[in-house]
Amino acid sequence: MRVWVVIAAYNEASVIGRVINEVKRRGYTVVVVDDGSSDRTAEASAPAHVLVRHPINLGQGAALQTGIDFALESGADVIVTFDADGQHRAADIEKLVQAIRVADVDFALGSRFLACSDGMPAARRILLKAATLFTQLTTGLRISDTHNGLRAMTRRGADVIRLRQNRMAHASELLSQIAASGLGYIEVPVTIEYSAYSLAKGQTLGDALMILIDLFARRLYR
Amino acid sequence: MIAQTVISMLLIGVVVYAASERRRSPVVALFSIIAAAAGLYFTWTPDHATQVAIWAGVGRGVDLVLYIWVCISLIVLLNLHLKLRSQMELVTVTARTIALAEARRRFSENAASPQALPRPVSSDRAFPD
Repeated sequence: MRVWVVIAAYNEASVIGRVINEVKRRGYTVVVVDDGSSDRTAEASAPAHVLVRHPINLGQGAALQTGIDFALESGADVIVTFDADGQHRAADIEKLVQAIRVADVDFALGSRFLACSDGMPAARRILLKAATLFTQLTTGLRISDTHNGLRAMTRRGADVIRLRQNRMAHASELLSQIAASGLGYIEVPVTIEYSAYSLAKGQTLGDALMILIDLFARRLYR
Repeated sequence: MIAQTVISMLLIGVVVYAASERRRSPVVALFSIIAAAAGLYFTWTPDHATQVAIWAGVGRGVDLVLYIWVCISLIVLLNLHLKLRSQMELVTVTARTIALAEARRRFSENAASPQALPRPVSSDRAFPD
């Protein structure tokens, strides 16, 4: 079972090395997509098995799709997406992979609301709940956490994912594509460890509005 | 008569432009064509324009035509925005192709190094029952 972990990184030089080593320690293959960082993210990603470098900054959605493409080409059986800012626990990867097999589904989606997530600010909780409600209404998926970057997919699942939303709206787009594919999915409790660093990189109300605009604009053209 | 002809030519230009865009952004093209057709009709039937303007609370027919023109401008602006987005998608595909080609090259060069891939995780390891 070849499990590939895709980490999209943009200006994460201070944390990416530790994140990569934690994932590698558990025996997974790590592909880091440096999304045109202006700091030393690429150098700090040296421990990764594969480093893919975007020549320009395209956005997290674009970086994840690039990583997924590479993993698929390289024969991955299961692909896991993992945030670069250190807020995910490498131990949760195994829970996702196990869930895929036990539940015989193609997607395992991490949910912070099914587990304890330390230090989540109230404003963030409200924003995420609103996003979850929106996703439930637009996709019909019964899920509790729409913008969790920790998820796993089988090869078959990854084949149906084609992210065209380069920026943060990719999370909603991915869920729409899961719903449209009709493939099975399951939610798995995962822990998010909020830190000052990850909170500073997190989404704001303004980002949420941009996501809505991106999703709307995407429906207007082919 | 001169103004009507000029406006009509501009509106016909909008219809042609919208028709050429209908494959890429059908919704925008549809709205543009509807607005331009309405503008054309009211430009040549000012009495009807005035009647509709009074009914709509705009006041004068000429104002109604002006507002329609503003709407068309906004729709065209939206279309330009969508065009930029689709250009960005092309940039993304290009950048991704370059990045993947470069990564593949480095990956194959390093395949025999100590940094090579770990052995596949066994079923027992990955999926403890």
